[in-house]
Formats: sequence, structure tokens, C-alpha cells
Amino acid sequence: MFRTNMRVCVLLLVIFLLNALPPKIASAAPPQLSEAPLVAKKPKAAPGKSLHKIIDEQIQSEYKDLTKSVSTISSDGEFLRRVYLDLTGRTPSITKTREFLNDSRSDKRAILVDQLLASPEYARYTSQQLDVILMRRLSKKYINVSTWEEYLRKSVAENKPLDQIVREIFAADGSNKETQAAARFYLARAGDVNELTRDIGKIFLGADLTCAQCHDHPDVNEWKQDHYYGISAFLIRSFVFTDKKKKQTVFAEKAEGEVKFESVFEVRDKTSKGAETTLPVVFNGPKISEPAFKKGEEYQVKPAKDVRPIPKYSRRAQLGVSITSPQNRRFARTMANRLWAMMLGRGIVHPLDADHSDNPPSHPQLLEILTDQMISHQFDLKWYLREIVLSETYQRSSANDLFNKKSAEKLDDSRFTHAIMKPLTPEQFSWAVLQATGYADIHRKSLKKKLTEESLRKKLLGYEKRFVTLFGGLPGKPVEGFETTADQILYLSNDGGIQGLVMPSSGNTADRVLKVPVDQPDKIAEELYLSVLNRHPDQTETEEVTKLLQGKAGVERSQMVSDLVWALVMSSEFRFNH
Amino acid sequence: MRCDYACGTHEGLSRRSFIGGTTAGALSMLGFNGMTQVQASKKLASQQKQVVVFWLSGGVSQLETWDPKPGAETGGPFQAISTSAPGVQISELLPHTAQQMHHLALVRGINTKENDHGKGGYIMQTGRKKQPGFAFPYLGSSFSSHLSAPDSPLPGYISVGAGGSSKESTFLGPRHAPLVLSGGRAPSNLELHSSMQADRDKVRRNLRSKISRRFEQKRKTAHTEVYNESFDQAAALMSKRDVFDFSKFSDKDVERYGKHDFGRHCLMARQLIEKGVTFVKVGHTNYDTHSENFNFHIEQLGEFDKPFATFISDLYDRGLLEHTLIICMCEFGRTPRINSRIGRDHWGTAWSVALGGTGIKGGAVSGKTNETGTKVIDREVNGGHLFHTYYQAVGLDSTEEFYPNGQPIAKADPKAEPIKEILA
Repeated sequence: MFRTNMRVCVLLLVIFLLNALPPKIASAAPPQLSEAPLVAKKPKAAPGKSLHKIIDEQIQSEYKDLTKSVSTISSDGEFLRRVYLDLTGRTPSITKTREFLNDSRSDKRAILVDQLLASPEYARYTSQQLDVILMRRLSKKYINVSTWEEYLRKSVAENKPLDQIVREIFAADGSNKETQAAARFYLARAGDVNELTRDIGKIFLGADLTCAQCHDHPDVNEWKQDHYYGISAFLIRSFVFTDKKKKQTVFAEKAEGEVKFESVFEVRDKTSKGAETTLPVVFNGPKISEPAFKKGEEYQVKPAKDVRPIPKYSRRAQLGVSITSPQNRRFARTMANRLWAMMLGRGIVHPLDADHSDNPPSHPQLLEILTDQMISHQFDLKWYLREIVLSETYQRSSANDLFNKKSAEKLDDSRFTHAIMKPLTPEQFSWAVLQATGYADIHRKSLKKKLTEESLRKKLLGYEKRFVTLFGGLPGKPVEGFETTADQILYLSNDGGIQGLVMPSSGNTADRVLKVPVDQPDKIAEELYLSVLNRHPDQTETEEVTKLLQGKAGVERSQMVSDLVWALVMSSEFRFNH
Repeated sequence: MRCDYACGTHEGLSRRSFIGGTTAGALSMLGFNGMTQVQASKKLASQQKQVVVFWLSGGVSQLETWDPKPGAETGGPFQAISTSAPGVQISELLPHTAQQMHHLALVRGINTKENDHGKGGYIMQTGRKKQPGFAFPYLGSSFSSHLSAPDSPLPGYISVGAGGSSKESTFLGPRHAPLVLSGGRAPSNLELHSSMQADRDKVRRNLRSKISRRFEQKRKTAHTEVYNESFDQAAALMSKRDVFDFSKFSDKDVERYGKHDFGRHCLMARQLIEKGVTFVKVGHTNYDTHSENFNFHIEQLGEFDKPFATFISDLYDRGLLEHTLIICMCEFGRTPRINSRIGRDHWGTAWSVALGGTGIKGGAVSGKTNETGTKVIDREVNGGHLFHTYYQAVGLDSTEEFYPNGQPIAKADPKAEPIKEILA
């Protein structure tokens, strides 16, 4: 079926290129173009529009009669907060907020985006998001978690192509010091072939094949038991091996072992023709044949007691190559869709691991284009995220009059007519709280010349971890969508750690607010709102603050300011990236 | 079958500790609209019906519990024993429970036709097969919405050692989502910070709502409502924190219930029921016995039997059983066929559930399986029948409908009816 899709997409690509090219060339070009290889064009050679413009065309062409119901472009404040959160995992400082709101350059959004993408915080936060996708917040097993995090952070910092990261992860066995960290993907799952098969399908192929372990998928026609075992076959010979002398655990491999499967339904109905097997294969791609060795000559290092065997031919070595091969469009498509969902709050195919014909994408053409561009731009993560955040689609406001009128059914999230409100990730939430209350600024100041992204994070890590524990879900089962629990709210309401942040302390937000002269109520409200919500207060809000503080002095005044900071930080406006 | 991993069970056979999130809010999938039921709730709340579910996660074997087949090729090594209910025999692995059988009824003819943990669990807890695009509320959330007083500061649905998700209440709203007591502990931070006073706290919480409401005016509010409501729920919890003081069990009680997590969880459930919580779910795990079925059942039921039986007898002694329904269930049963690893696999075709307490005819048995336990031969029922039965047992009309967004949703599957023969 992917062949058919590919043809459709070639066609689309052609149509798109035809539109993009000047008419003269277009009339001459078709024969060559239609035969052009799918994965052609380097980005710079590609004519015409940037991806963010194409995204908007595609999304807007779907609006049709929705033109009136589409949200306006976000205000500068809304955009600033959103893009900071999405690209750096925190909210902007009050200084940055003022600077951006007062900046009158017409291209200030693009300039900001490039600044953020170049920041060390981008690398740290984006790698944390990749980590959650890849590791589902699994606990430590065999591999040190911080070396793994550092491996991902560095990879994102140098903008390593996504497919390369994935190949490195699949190639690592934990034996080599330099690549050891990347083996966490296998080893944290204890090398369990079923857990790995499930997660590889879900994460990289947009397919939760779990149900196809025991029989063809009961609800998804096109997902067969063969697909499940095609992936398992890459891993069936692998096992976790601990070298007692080196005190090192690695993912080792044997030279023999085949997957065996038969449908439990057929076994039950007695129609089974016995167990089948398959060579390694990714979905409907080519089966990977393997060299034959004479009996006894299959190994470089033969298996023996306490010896790690090394086969001459490694099945597992084929896995990364096969998954990331341009022939396997599912990979590029899934990555494009996942990253889209990360930024927009919802996949074009949704849920992200249910990419099959009974669950069509909301925008099939757009997804094909994103897939093509992901491949032609060689899985350039930074470029892709940049294009998304530059689009109008990303920059729409989350507010819309229709929501007020309760005739909101037209505003289905899947149409992307408005910005979907994304609950802050635990990492974003912790950093945003520390930024808004001024705690992060206190540490920035105290670190002085030693201030780096790394040194600052060390100071804030305790909070970050606490938030991840409370808001991140269970190991292996990270929170999806929005959930809220009593533990979380009781922590936010009563814990000393939070109360300490909102009480005045030299240089924090409450302290700064208290230092604004009492006879300048407008400035007081402004200091509060710019610090916490990154926008100016409106008149009602200014009046509210003024009234609350009126006639209060000393402890009373300081308590009211703390309570104001708390109320703003705990508001729904703060809890969501809107 | 080799669904030993991938069927989605998170149990496995290891003693993995389950650190559930403490859940007070829910994703309200269809918005707030269960309010048409308020009047009915009020009426019933006055009758104080309560419910306790014992959830034996992984799928306990019916052959080693409620429907033993000693001597059959599929029967396994254990004998059947007589019980306090004349003519009713259960497995010898449940000697204490056998003495409480006059309070319990058995349903032995269940066929849910589902061998997947997730889907089986869904059927048993919602009374329906999973339907794409629609989410039925879970039992705990339904009963919380029907039976707990609308203005009660206590959560209507508390889960002890049984996990739970805030999504379970679906259109009934976050008020009826489970509060999950993780690790068998009371929630932390139940008291105000020492620097905070109650009146001040009230002012700042009101301020928080006001600021939030302004923001939400022109925005989609499905999630923000959940968030806001959870602040109110947290405040309500704080006002009732004595309910969660689990530090005062007597040594004698600890001895009677056993010094393990499950024993303690049963004691906690007893306290929660005494304090008036409507629905309590208690979990016991490690029944997914694809290998070593018999050894695992000796071990697990050895832990389960006494506290379960003690719980029933305590509730009876304290007069609580009169208005408390007890349900002991799981995702599915286990295959009569014993596999090559001396295990039993997933089996939704012919298995059993035990019920007791209010509205239930103690000692009654419904349904029958054949000699080897491979088939239901009399009175076959499914999750729908069970749901009707639970509703009727607590005095609710199971043929009524919910009206989320004005659309009628039958409370229990209209194609099924209550299992009358076990209703008192």
C-alpha cells in the first residue's frame, strides 16, 4: 500500500512543483519531473516556497467555509511565551519580554526563533523531549541515565540528523565507551524482544503492533502477525550479556535463532498449518536475506561460558539501516508527524501510533509533503521545527470568539483553526515556575561568570526532577494528554518548596514587585503580569491588583504580593502553553 | 498463546511496585453534562449505598477459586472444599473465604469473549466492549456519581493499590475520577504550609479562579475545567484529612489482616467505607500466571484469602455489609488447558466473579460450566449482565440512561439484563 501512496505523493509533489515553478519551465518539465526520484532535491536546489508557506497553504485550503472561524494570529505576548516554551522549555524573563514587546521590527518573530534555536537551552529541552519519546521515562537499567541524556543533548546541539541518531541508537550494544550511552534504548528494556518490537513500532513506525503478536491485528486489517515478527526477527538473536570481568553489560547476539509464530485463533480453530517464521523485514519492505556459513563457522567469537559471542553476521546491525532507509517512508512520516504533534499539540495522524487506513490523517497531502521534505532535508530537526514555528498555523491564537459562543463544534482541533492549548510538560512547568517566580534569575545572578546552561540547570534540577515525578506519569507510561492529580495540586498549594518561591526573597518576583513605589499601581501590576504571564495586564487586571494592595503595608502587603504571584502561577493561563 | 508480554499487562510476574498517580481530576471527554442525574443521586445518597471492588489484576484463575474442577484433566492439583453456604464448593486455596460464602454469591457462567488485558479490563469495568470514539465511564465513576452526595467533600471513588486514571470518569467529569492512593499512603501536603492561614488561602484560591476564568473566556475549556476543579477537590480533601489518617490501626487488626500491602490496603478500605466513601477499589496483583500457575496461585491466594474474608466479616459485624456491595473480579479468567510451562493463559470464555453484601443473595450460584471448564453450559452472561446486577443490587435502575450532551447513553448494555437469581 505504501507503493500506491508513494505514487500519489509523487503526483502531489509534481503538482506542487508545477505550481511553484515559473510557467515556462513548468510546461517543459513534466516528463522529467514525473520520473524524478522520490528522494531527490537537496533543500537549496528546491525551487519556490519554504515549508512554512506550504504548511499554511495546505491547512488553509482545508478551511473552505471556515475562513470566518479561524483564530487570528497570536499577539506578541502569546507568541513569545509559546515559542519560548516550545523551543527552550521555559518562559522568557521579564527583561526579554519587555524587549520583545517593544521591538518594532517586522521580522522580530523570525529573529527570535533563530536566537532560540541557537541557544543551549534549545538543545537541552528538545533532547529532553526526544528522550521522553524514545525512553518513555523508563528508569535506569545498566546504562547511566545522565550519559544518555548528555548524548542526546549533544546530538541535538550539533543538529545531528534524526535518522542518524536512530541508527546510532540501534547500532550501539553498550560495549564501546564512546557509544555506550546510546545502548540505553535496548538495555533499559532489558533487551526484551517483545517490548522492543512494540516500542519500535510505536515510536518509529507509527504503528502499535502489540495486538499482532498473537494473531493478525483484530481491528487493523493491514497489520499482520508477519509485520510484528518481521521486526522481532531483527532482535530475536540478541540477549543481554554481563561480562563479569569487565563488569559491563552489553546487548550481545548469537548467530542462530528464528522467530516462530502462528495465530492463536488458528490454533484454537485447528486451522493452523503450524508455526511460521520470517526473515527480518520492516513492514512491506524487502526481506533481508543473510549469508550462509558452514556449520561451525558462524562466529568470530564462539559462544562459551562467560564469553560474549560475536557472530560473523549480525541481524541486529540491519535494524537501524532498514528502519531509516528512505524506502521505508513510515519512518520519515512518523517522525514528521511526531514532531508536528510536539509543536501543534496534535498529530496529523492521531493517535501517533495508529497510522493505518482506517484512521486517515486529517491532512493527507500535507503529511505526504512533510514526509517528502523530511527525507529531502535529510532529517534536519532544527530546520523542520523552525519551519513549523514560522508558519501562521503554529502562530494562531488559542483564543477564538466561537469558543465563547459555544458554537465551537466547528473548531475541531484536527483542523488546526486555532492553537491547541498544550499542557506544560513537567520540564516546562518546573522551569516556567522557576522563571516566573524569579528563582531562576536569582541563580543566574549568583552564578555570575560561571553562568552556563549547564551550571544553571544543576541549580534547578531538584525542582525539575520533582515535577517530572509528580507530573510525568509512570516509568514506561508517560502522561499523554492532560491529567491532573490530587498529589500535584496539593504540592502546588501547600508544599514548602513552592511557598518558598512565591514569598519575597532578594531579587525574586515578589521582591521586585514590592520594590515598585506604592504610588505607581500601574507599574506594580505590570511587573507582576510581565514576570509571570509575559504580557501586559489589561485594565480590569490592573484595577484588581491595585484594589488588593490598597492600604496594605508591611507583612500584610508582602503576603498579598506572594499570594498574587501564586494565583498567577497557578492559573490555567500559566498551566497551559496557549 | 504467548501473550506473556505484549497483551499490555503491566504486571508481568514480577513484584513490580506500582506507584500510581494520585488522581483527583479527569479529562472530561464530552464536557460537563452528567448533571441531569443530580436528583436521583440525592435520593439514593440518603440510602448510603457503598461499593467495594477487589480487583485481582492479571486475571485470577476461576479453577483455583470459584469454580474448581478437581479430578478433571484441566482441574489442576487442588481440591474443592465445602463452605458456609450449603452445597457451594470453592477451591481449597480459599479456606477463610469459604467461611464467608453465606455472604457471597457466585456467577460461574461469564463469557466476555475477550482475552486482552486492556479490553477485558474495560469490559469488566464499564460493562461494554470498547467502542471507537466513545468512552463509557468506569464503574467507580458511575457509582460515585449516582451514590455520593453532590456536596460531599469526600471523593466518591478512591483506589487503593489498584492504580486508576483520571480519564475513567469520562463525561461524568473530574468530580468522579478516582483518587489513587499511591503506595497505600495518604496524599502528601494535606495541610496548609506553616506560613499560610486558612482565610488567606481562600482569598488566593478565589483569585486564582478569577484570573483563570478571564483567560478561558474565548478558549477551549475541556482541560482547564479539569484543572480548576482539581483545586476545589484538593481543598475538599484537606478539609477531610482525618479520613486519610491510616496510622491508627490496632496491632490486633494488623495481625488479623496480615502484615503485607494487601492486608494493609484492606484495612484502609475498611476505614474509607466506615468514613463514608462511596466506592473503593482495592487491588491485588500478580495473577497473570502464564507459567507456574499453581505455585503462583498458592502464593497469591494465600495472601488474598484471609484479609478478604476478614474484611467481609468485619463489615458484617459492624453492620456495614447491609448497605455495601462487594465485587471480586478481574479482566478475565484463565484457560482450563494447562500449558507447557504449567501455566494458564488468558480466558474470557468461561469464568467466574464473586459478589456479596447489599442486594445480593448470599450463597446463591448462577451459571455452570462443563466438566472441564471449557464452556458455559448454563446461564451464560457477560459484562452487561453483571453491570445490570451491580446497579440493581444497590437499588439503582439499570435501564436508565445518562445524557451527556443530551445524547442518551444506556447505563448498562440494553441487550443484557440483571442476573436475578443472585439478587436478594
